[in-house]
Amino acid sequence: MPSSKSALSLLLLASGLTAAETPKVNFLRDVAPILNKTGCTSGPCHGAAKGKNGFKLSLRGYDPQFDYEALLYDLSGRRFNRADPARSLMLAKPTQQVPHGGGLRFEIGSAYYQTIYNWIAQGVPFGDPAKDSVRRLEVEPKEILMHGPGESAVVKVSAIFADGGQRDVTKEAVVESNVPDLAAVTDASVKGARIGEATLLVRYQGNFITVPVTVLNPKPGFAWKALPQNNYIDRLIDAKLERLKIQPSPATDDAAFLRRVSLDLKGLPPTPAEVQAFLANTSRSKRADLIDRLIASPAYVDHWTLKWGDLLQNSRKYLGEKGAFEFREWIRDSIARNKPYDAMVREMLTASGSSYENPAVDFYRVTRDPKPTMEKTTQVFLGVRMVCTQCHDHPFERWTQNQYYEMAAFFSAVGLRPGYEVGEEILYDQRQDYDMKHPKDGRVMNPKFIVPATWSSAAKPSDAPPTDAGRRQAYAEWITARDNPFFAKSTVNRVWSYFFGRGIIDPVDDIRASNPPSNPALLDALTKDFIDHNFDLRYLMRTIANSRTYQASVAANEWNEKDTENFSHAVPRRLSAEELMDALSLATGVRPVFPEAPPDTTAEQVTDPHVGKDGFLDLFGRPARESACECERRSDLSLPQALNLVNGKTISDAVADSAGRVAKAILSGRPDRDVVTELYLASLSRPPRAGEIESGVHYLEGGSGRAARAQDLLWALVNSKAFLYNY
Amino acid sequence: MLVIPGRRCHTCEGPTRRELMRVGSIGMLGLNLANFFAWQKSSLAATKYDGARGFGSAKSVIMVFLQGGPSHIDIWDPKPDAPANIRGEFKGIPTKIPGTHIGEHMPMMAEALDKATLIRSMSYTPNGLFNHTAAIYQMLTGYPPDRVSPSGQLEPPNGADFPTAGSHVSKLKPPTEAVLPFVELPRPLQESGVIGKGGAAGFLGKAYDPYRLYQDPAKPIKTEDLSLRKEVPPERLKDRFELLKGINDSMPDLEKALKSQAIDEYYGKAFDLVLSGKARDAFDLTKEPDKVRERYGLTTFGQGMLLSRRLIEAGTRFVQMNWPAVANGNPEVDSWDTHAANFAPLKNLHCPKLDRGLSALLEDMDARGLLKETLVVAVGEFGRSPRIGVSTSGNSNAPDGRDHWPYCYSAVVAGCGIARGAQYGESDQTASSPKNKPMHPNDLLATTYYALGIDPDLIVLNHLNQPRELVKGKVVAELWS
Repeated sequence: MPSSKSALSLLLLASGLTAAETPKVNFLRDVAPILNKTGCTSGPCHGAAKGKNGFKLSLRGYDPQFDYEALLYDLSGRRFNRADPARSLMLAKPTQQVPHGGGLRFEIGSAYYQTIYNWIAQGVPFGDPAKDSVRRLEVEPKEILMHGPGESAVVKVSAIFADGGQRDVTKEAVVESNVPDLAAVTDASVKGARIGEATLLVRYQGNFITVPVTVLNPKPGFAWKALPQNNYIDRLIDAKLERLKIQPSPATDDAAFLRRVSLDLKGLPPTPAEVQAFLANTSRSKRADLIDRLIASPAYVDHWTLKWGDLLQNSRKYLGEKGAFEFREWIRDSIARNKPYDAMVREMLTASGSSYENPAVDFYRVTRDPKPTMEKTTQVFLGVRMVCTQCHDHPFERWTQNQYYEMAAFFSAVGLRPGYEVGEEILYDQRQDYDMKHPKDGRVMNPKFIVPATWSSAAKPSDAPPTDAGRRQAYAEWITARDNPFFAKSTVNRVWSYFFGRGIIDPVDDIRASNPPSNPALLDALTKDFIDHNFDLRYLMRTIANSRTYQASVAANEWNEKDTENFSHAVPRRLSAEELMDALSLATGVRPVFPEAPPDTTAEQVTDPHVGKDGFLDLFGRPARESACECERRSDLSLPQALNLVNGKTISDAVADSAGRVAKAILSGRPDRDVVTELYLASLSRPPRAGEIESGVHYLEGGSGRAARAQDLLWALVNSKAFLYNY
Repeated sequence: MLVIPGRRCHTCEGPTRRELMRVGSIGMLGLNLANFFAWQKSSLAATKYDGARGFGSAKSVIMVFLQGGPSHIDIWDPKPDAPANIRGEFKGIPTKIPGTHIGEHMPMMAEALDKATLIRSMSYTPNGLFNHTAAIYQMLTGYPPDRVSPSGQLEPPNGADFPTAGSHVSKLKPPTEAVLPFVELPRPLQESGVIGKGGAAGFLGKAYDPYRLYQDPAKPIKTEDLSLRKEVPPERLKDRFELLKGINDSMPDLEKALKSQAIDEYYGKAFDLVLSGKARDAFDLTKEPDKVRERYGLTTFGQGMLLSRRLIEAGTRFVQMNWPAVANGNPEVDSWDTHAANFAPLKNLHCPKLDRGLSALLEDMDARGLLKETLVVAVGEFGRSPRIGVSTSGNSNAPDGRDHWPYCYSAVVAGCGIARGAQYGESDQTASSPKNKPMHPNDLLATTYYALGIDPDLIVLNHLNQPRELVKGKVVAELWS
C-alpha cells in the first residue's frame, strides 16, 4: 500500500488543484453532512447513546456543536494533524489505514476525503451558524406523478443556507419511501412498483421535506361515472378518486347500511324488528333519520364511553375499583351531555382535588409522572408521539429533546396524595420543588409549547413561566385552542378511523410531516367543520355517517379493488370483542354473564378490563388499557379465536340454551320458514333470500331433532363471515 | 436452491397456499382430515448437509426465551477476579462442567449442566435501534428490524415482518399429527406498547402464527375449545361446517373482500384440532403427579416449562416459552430488565425460578428420552452490562442496576445430541466480549434450523415474492462434538 501522503500528492496532481485554489470549507456546511451520509452518526455507530469505541457523536448529527467539540477536544485533539492532514485520525480511520470497527467509509482521494482533508488543512473552522446552517430544503420535482408502474423519477435536493446560499445536496440527502413496495428508492431515484400513492421523506442536516408520489393505473378505458354526493366529504373524496382514475363503489343496500351504521354508532347490530321496520320504511330521508336516532340512543353513549375508556386507560389497575367506576361515570356523563370535546379535555387537564369528587382527576392518576402524562396528552389529544424525544431529538420530525422536557414541565407541579376515603387521591399543585430538569446537564426547563401559542387567549409561557396550577391551565388552553394545528385535526382523523378502519392519516396517533394525510383537503374540511361546530363529536359523526363515502358498498370494481387508502369502497372490519359478544347475545337470545358486574350488563357497558378478564373479550382483542395507543386493540382473526368460535363454550352453549332464541322459536310452534327467517334476521341483520329459506327449511326437516337442527343453523350463521365482520 | 417465482412451488416447499385451502375445505367436509397437517410432509429437497453431524437430529424445539436480558455475569458467567463494580455481589459455584463455574444462585443448574452445553460467547452489535423489541426481533427472526416508527419504537407486528423462528419451523416442518404446531406461552413478547413483535408469522401469513396460550399455567388452563363437545359428535360438526360453507358462499362480494384474511384456513385447522383431542390433553397439567409439578416449581415459569414438555410429547414442533414477567420498571416484578435493583431480586426472585424450572426440564426430558430428539435453548435477547450502574443503551440506570449488553452474553443449549457437560466459547476478563468463538444470534438460529433438518441457507419468498435467506448465519456443528 502506498503511503497516504504519496497517495494524496498523486491525487492533488491528478486533479490539478493547488492549495491556493482549494475551496473554503467549514464543519457546518461541508463536514457534518459527510459524517451523516457515511453513517458515522448513525445509531449503531458513533451516534449510539454512549458512542462507539470511546467516540461519541450526536445521533444522526442533530447537535453539530457537540459533534464538532467531540472531534476537536476528545483525545486532546489527536484526531487532527494540521501539519500533515492525511495523517489525521479523522482520515485514517474511515479510510481504514488504521483499524476501524466501522470498516471502510470512503476511499482515499474520494470527494469526501478531499473535503475533510481541506477542512483540516484550513484549521478545522466550525463555520457560522448564522450563515452556514441549513434553513430549508428544496426538491425538484415537488411531486411525482407516474402514469403506471415501472416508471422512474429522480429527485434533486437543494439546501438553502442561512446566508441565502444554495447547494445541490442530492448525494448527501437521505431519501426514504413510506411505502417501499410501492415507491422503491435507490439513492435519489424512485421507481413506481405498483398503483397507489406514497410519500418520499427527504432529510438533510436536521431538515426534511416530503414529496408525494402517485402511480396511476395505466389501464385504458377509464371513464368516470359520477355518483350522488351527499355532502362535502363525497365531493372531496370524488375529486381525488377521479384524478387517480379510481371509480368509487356506490352506496350499499339498506340492510347492510343499517347493520354497519348501528355497529359503528352504538356498537350493536339492529334487532330483527329494527331490520324489518327499516326495510319497510319508504321515506327518502330514512338513512339520515336513522343516523339521528342512533346518535340519540342510550347505546350510543355506552359505545363511546367504552372508546374513551380505552384511550384514557380507565382501569382499576390504576384507579382502584371505585375509581374506575367513577371515572367511567364521568366519561359517560360527558358523552351523554355531548359535552364539547375541547371542554371535556380542558376539564381533565385542569382537574384538581378529590378523585371521588372530581373523577376527571383520574386522568392524572393513570400516568402519575409528568413525563408519561405529557406523552399521553400529545398522543391522545394531538396524535403526536413525543416519546423518542425523551432521549434525543426526533429523527423524522422537528421535535427536540429540549422540547420534550419543556412540554413535560407543564405537568411537573402536579402532586397526588392519599385522600380520606379508601382509594381516594387528592390532586394538588405543589408550591415548590417541581422543576423539570434536563437529564444531560440538570438545567431547569421552563414550560414551553412545541408549537408557539399564537392566539390571544393563551398564556405566553416563554415570557413568564406560569407557576403551580397556572402551568396546566396554560397547557389546557393551548391544547384545545381553535388554532392549535393538531387538536381538532387529530380528533376528526381518529373519529374518521372508527368509521372506516383507517385514518386519513394512519396510524391515527402518529401525526408528523413524514406521515401525510391521504386526502389533505378532506382532512382540512372536516377539521374546520368540527371547529365551526364547537368541537361537537355528534355533529362530526353525523356528517361522516351521512356521506356516500361511508355508506359505500364492500363490493369493489375493476378500478378500485386495489385501493386501500382512498376510501373508494368499504373494507370489512372484524367486530370488536365487545361488539361480537353483544351481537352473539342478540343472535342467540342469551345475555352474557359477568360475575363482577350487575346483571344484564352488556359487553359494551363493562367498566374496565378487569371485568370478564381472560375470557372471550380478551381472546378477541379487547385492550388491556395499558397504553394509550390505538394499536392495543387487536382486530385480526387467529386460530385460537377460530377454535373458540367453532367449539368454544360461548357459542356452543348459547345456541343450545334452553331459554335462548332457538328454544323459544321451536317451542312457539311457528312454521319452519318463520324460524329460519328469525335466525337470519337476528344474526345477519337481513331477511333470508328465497333460496336460503328453502335450504334452511330443508335442513330443519332433515335428520333427527328439529331443535338441534335449528341450533346447527344458528351456529353456522354466527360463524359466518357476514356475522363476524362489519361490512 | 431452486426458486420459481410465484407463491410456492412443489419442487421445494410443498403445496401452494391455494392448494392448502383446497385440502382444508375438502377435509372440512370429508372428516378424513388426519392428513390436513401432513400436507407439507413432502419434505425439503436434499441439502448439502445431508448426513452431516447433528443435521436433522431434532424433531422439536423448546425456546426458553428469557425476555428482558438476563445478567449473564451474575447467572452464567461469573468473574470473581474482576473489580467489584463488575463482578457484582454474587460468587461462583462449580458445575458438572469441569472447570466451569456459574452464579451461586443457580445450584440446580450447576448439577444439570451435565446434560447441556453452556455458550458464553453469544455476541452481536445492534444494527439500528437498540432496545428490547429490536433485540427480540433480531434474536427470533434473524433480521434486524428495518422499519422504526418515529416514536423510536418498532412498528407493531405486520405482514411484512420477518417470521419468528417457530413460524418458519411450523411451516417447513409441520407436525405429522393433528396437534398445535407452534405454541407460545404464557404471554406475548412485549416492550412498552409494542406487543408481539418478533413473535409472529409476518410474511408467512397469520396461519403460521403461534397458538397463543396467554394464560398462567400455574392455574388451571382453559382449553375447552380444544375438546369435542358431547352434544356435538363428529357427524354433527360436519353438518355445521356444510351449513357454514353454504352461508359464506352466498355472499361472494364479502368473500372476495376477505380473501386475504386466511379465515377458512383457521376454520379448517380448528375443525381438525377439535376432532383429534390430543392438544387438549397436553394442556392438562393435573395429569402430572404432584411431585413432578413441584420439581418444576409451582410458579408460572416452572409450570410453563412442564407444559412445554407435555406439548413436545404431544407432537408440537416448536414451543416458545417466554419469561413470564415483562419490563415495567417495578423491581418487585421478576423481569430480567434490571436497570435498577439487579442483585436482591435476582437472588430472591429470578434465579430460584429459572434454576428450578430449567433444571427440572432438562432432567425430566432426559429421563423420558425426549431430550434425544428435542433441542432446548435458553437465552435472552441480550445480556447485561458488565459495569454496574452505567448507561449503555441510553436508559438511565440505578447505581445497583445493569444496562443492556448484546456484545457478550450466555445461552444454554441441550438435547438432540449436543455435547453434554460442555462449554462453548469464552468471554474476556470482564465478560464484555467473547474471547473466542463468538456466536451471533443468527448462528444460533441457523444451528437451530440445522438441528431440525432445515438448511439455514434455504431461500424463502416474502410477501412480495422476493427471495430471502431463511437466516444469514453460520451453523455451529461443533456443538455436537
